[in-house]
Amino acid sequence: MAGITVYLKCDRNVEVQQENVFLKDVATLQCADGEVLARCSALKIHHFTPQGEKRCVVSVLKLIRQMEEACPGISVQSLGEADVLIEQVKVARFKGPRQWLKVVLVCLVSFFGTAFTIMAYHNDVGIHEVFGEIYRIFMGSEPVGVNVLEISYSLGLAAGIIVFFNHIGGRRITKDPTPIEVSMRNYEEDVNKALIETAGREGREKDV
Amino acid sequence: MFRLGLLSLSGFSFGMLAAAGVFTVLSAVGLVPRFAGKTHSAREILLYENMVIAGTVAGGLASVFERYLRLGGWILEKAPGLAGLMSVLVSVFLGAAGLFCGMFVGALALAIAEMLDSIPIFTRRVSFRHGLGLAVLSMALGKLAGSLFYFWNQLHRTAG
Repeated sequence: MAGITVYLKCDRNVEVQQENVFLKDVATLQCADGEVLARCSALKIHHFTPQGEKRCVVSVLKLIRQMEEACPGISVQSLGEADVLIEQVKVARFKGPRQWLKVVLVCLVSFFGTAFTIMAYHNDVGIHEVFGEIYRIFMGSEPVGVNVLEISYSLGLAAGIIVFFNHIGGRRITKDPTPIEVSMRNYEEDVNKALIETAGREGREKDV
Repeated sequence: MFRLGLLSLSGFSFGMLAAAGVFTVLSAVGLVPRFAGKTHSAREILLYENMVIAGTVAGGLASVFERYLRLGGWILEKAPGLAGLMSVLVSVFLGAAGLFCGMFVGALALAIAEMLDSIPIFTRRVSFRHGLGLAVLSMALGKLAGSLFYFWNQLHRTAG
């Protein structure tokens, strides 16, 4: 098997449901030799015990060592992440009542919270005084009743927030991900990085 | 007519820019992703965004057209017999709304503190390894005490 190159591309974060984690679960492999490819893909890299931790960080060096032991003489090229975070999740994430409850809670907090912050902001800037002043400057008279400035401001507020968040209801305005989706990804990235680094620092990483 | 057009145009752009401000704060602090991350419900992100949009629009309408939205007074005027029921319903609603607002503002306050790295810097300066949980708990209790003190003593009367 000498001289055969195996290309290894690891993911950063993998969620598995089964107890035994195989190399093909956490990485994509490419090799010209089908037998080497099959043998490497089937390597068992971690076993989750029912009582043990549900999370594990594996260094790619450990994976390479295992591959070299399984197929002596091969050379491994790692193209992906240097550390893989493997998490065992209980079941396929079905929507139980608890999950719905959490979703409702987040919805309520988001709705009332943002309503409160915009009202606090309006209160802070004294929106009625400012609008009254602008109305007098433009129209030369005192505002009576619902005036056009208040209506157009409200329309502008709605339009602006919809344009920025890039969707109305479930329908996206452009193909881009919405800003909260982007920051969700960033947040996940940060959490993964922190978990991997903490594991490395505390010596819990599976390394060579 | 010209003046009205100008006024509505400027009103519209005020609204757009206020929305930009709200949006910038929310996306910079990254509060909703945290909520979603904590509750493992990242797939509901669109729903959460809709709630943020609805909340901002509703809050904006409520505070701009505040004097036309005195719903409680209107109902009492039409049907004075409902006063007892109304006060119960309103208390429940206000209690719930206050709780949710408080949670949001509390999360916002600590998220901003964290964004400015004040907690990491503080922990490095005083160089403690353990007890960060206690420190956060104390912070929460401090917020609770401060908020109660503020409303109890009606400190908002001193503002402005």
